[in-house]
Amino acid sequence: MTTATTAARPTVGIVGLTGCAGDQLVVLNCEDKLLDLVRLLDIRDFLMASSDRDDECPLDLVFVEGAVLSRRDEETLLRVRERAKCLVAIGTCAVWGGIPALDRLYDRQAMVRDVYGNGGLQFDTLPARALREVVPVDYAITGCPIEREEFLSAVAHLLHGNPPPSRDLPVCAECRMRETSCLLVTRGLLCCGPVTQGGCAARCPTRGVPCFGCRGPVAGANIPAALAAFEAHGIPREVAERRLEIFGPLPCVAAEEVAP
Amino acid sequence: MTRIVIDHLARVEGHGGVSVELGDGGVESVHFDVIEGARLLEGIVRGRPYDEVAPITSRICAICSAAHTIASLTATEQAFGVVPSARTERLRDLMLRGENIESHALHVFLLALPDYFGAPSAIALATEHREVVDLALRLKQLGNAIQEVVAGRAIHPVTAVVGGFGSWPTQNDLLALREGLLQGREDVAAAVDLMASLPPVDIGRSPSAYAALRMTGFYGYASGHEILVESSGRTVSVPVTAYRSITREQTVPHSHAKHSRWNGTPFMVGAIARLAVNGDHLPAGGARVAQRLGLTGESDDPQDNTRAQVVELAVDVDRALELVEHLLAEGDCVEAPVPVTPRAGTGTGAIEAPRGLLIHSYRYDERGLVEEADVVTPTALNAASVEHRLRRAVEQVSDRDAARIRRRAEMLVRAYDPCISCAVHVLDARRAV
Repeated sequence: MTTATTAARPTVGIVGLTGCAGDQLVVLNCEDKLLDLVRLLDIRDFLMASSDRDDECPLDLVFVEGAVLSRRDEETLLRVRERAKCLVAIGTCAVWGGIPALDRLYDRQAMVRDVYGNGGLQFDTLPARALREVVPVDYAITGCPIEREEFLSAVAHLLHGNPPPSRDLPVCAECRMRETSCLLVTRGLLCCGPVTQGGCAARCPTRGVPCFGCRGPVAGANIPAALAAFEAHGIPREVAERRLEIFGPLPCVAAEEVAP
Repeated sequence: MTRIVIDHLARVEGHGGVSVELGDGGVESVHFDVIEGARLLEGIVRGRPYDEVAPITSRICAICSAAHTIASLTATEQAFGVVPSARTERLRDLMLRGENIESHALHVFLLALPDYFGAPSAIALATEHREVVDLALRLKQLGNAIQEVVAGRAIHPVTAVVGGFGSWPTQNDLLALREGLLQGREDVAAAVDLMASLPPVDIGRSPSAYAALRMTGFYGYASGHEILVESSGRTVSVPVTAYRSITREQTVPHSHAKHSRWNGTPFMVGAIARLAVNGDHLPAGGARVAQRLGLTGESDDPQDNTRAQVVELAVDVDRALELVEHLLAEGDCVEAPVPVTPRAGTGTGAIEAPRGLLIHSYRYDERGLVEEADVVTPTALNAASVEHRLRRAVEQVSDRDAARIRRRAEMLVRAYDPCISCAVHVLDARRAV
């Protein structure tokens, strides 16, 4: 593992591959901290926010959002990996593949043809991959989008040469801590909280809406037990399985080691 | 032949570029390149249950995720004959005002304004014009605070569901929003002064056709049933259900966004298009700002889109304040979503997203599983117009200075406030018949 503090003010890149740009937007949504962030970080490459861009300089730290969906994405990622001492995946697409990686369940070529006609087949498109399927990733901040506080906390830790705090509690645990009544038990709703990585303070269930699983699987997620619990509350297994696949684990990662 | 390529546009949302070819006779070609990878969400929603569709399609774009969510929910509700309550409509209105305030503040100040000051970014602007950046960030934060309170998250809403809301704002949250909105009114006034002080620029000015929803009451962005297209002084009404007649899309090789035309002419959508077709319905506060910024007659200037966004900042802060006062007067009254019984059917939800007309259209089977999905996004609708005016902007540079061409091309594209994540996600799951 590498750490980010080699100089007083580390050089930083914030780079987007294919995605909704939501994680870069979360960075810009740190409105009250933004000018502090630029004081502490020497942001050299952040195309979404600045046209003054150095896309060649070495970087102490790079945050990369989005999934790899084209050769262009792949080249961009390989290049920033070469430039950066420390690479942090931000957002569920970068960490797990996210919604675009649902293409694993379908015939991608047929989908390209459906959307763009035969002309679409000449587009630069590849099956969706998470960053770690392409390059080594030092740290991961998951979430769709990432939580602002987790991003700021990760920056603070990295500035001090420490790894960002890792999380291994499911959304369910945070929901209990907030004393929310369980949506599965009391209302029979399909809630992905038991198998989804926490850190969002149970954002959805505390607002009466079941967890959609958008932060990806928690370390040690016991999927069979969750499916059995859902079934016991009247939710058919195939319905639950389809829901869990939306932000499901990478096919290459065994269930017992799903932690990013 | 000279080729000028902007490989990757800065200060826009998503990945796009511009390429220009200059020949002996003049400008040979101008392309607005959408180079974002294709996420193919159409195949992904097909066969999935109705309650997964809004959370998945919201991920098309972060900045417009509230608009995508509500267009999606509206399409689904129509397909199932679900009619949300008037209270739900008002809360959705507030959610969209929040998104519009955030998105416009981001575009006007953080993306577009630095060009006028010759600065590379708003962050660089902060050294000399700290007050401008503080103002921008306060307005942006206000828009996000509204979405946090109403939608449960500033990006990718969580509480808005088919038939209503999973939870309602608390009185304490609303009181905090009221404070923020009162400050917001002052900030908007300062934003108008700033905007009025900017020098005019002539980049790609040329007459344009405009398309936007007919906006009834309060200049509202949701619940549109009719699209108005204004072209050469004539306005034509198109029912939302017939939207495909204005979006005859062509796939073009250089772009993952399809191109749309109206009777063969490119048209523009967005804040300036809304003003062009709904100017008569502008509330008094907004009308005063429009007057001040010179947006009263026909517009041929793409930069007017940024000015029209400032008009909407004024309208939205006023309207959001009214809605918050209304919710406060109602007191805490939680309302469960309207129950949903899936049935076979189609529904089309049209909405004015921050960047313009956005349409979600779905066909469901009797179990409530998606059979077909079609999403038409504002930036895809604007792509042909962007290219049309890019050509004009390039032709205006008689000395063919490459640096100048680049600068002007970037500024022109930015005026459209493109959202390239959106543009590429033209969901179109209709099978060839």
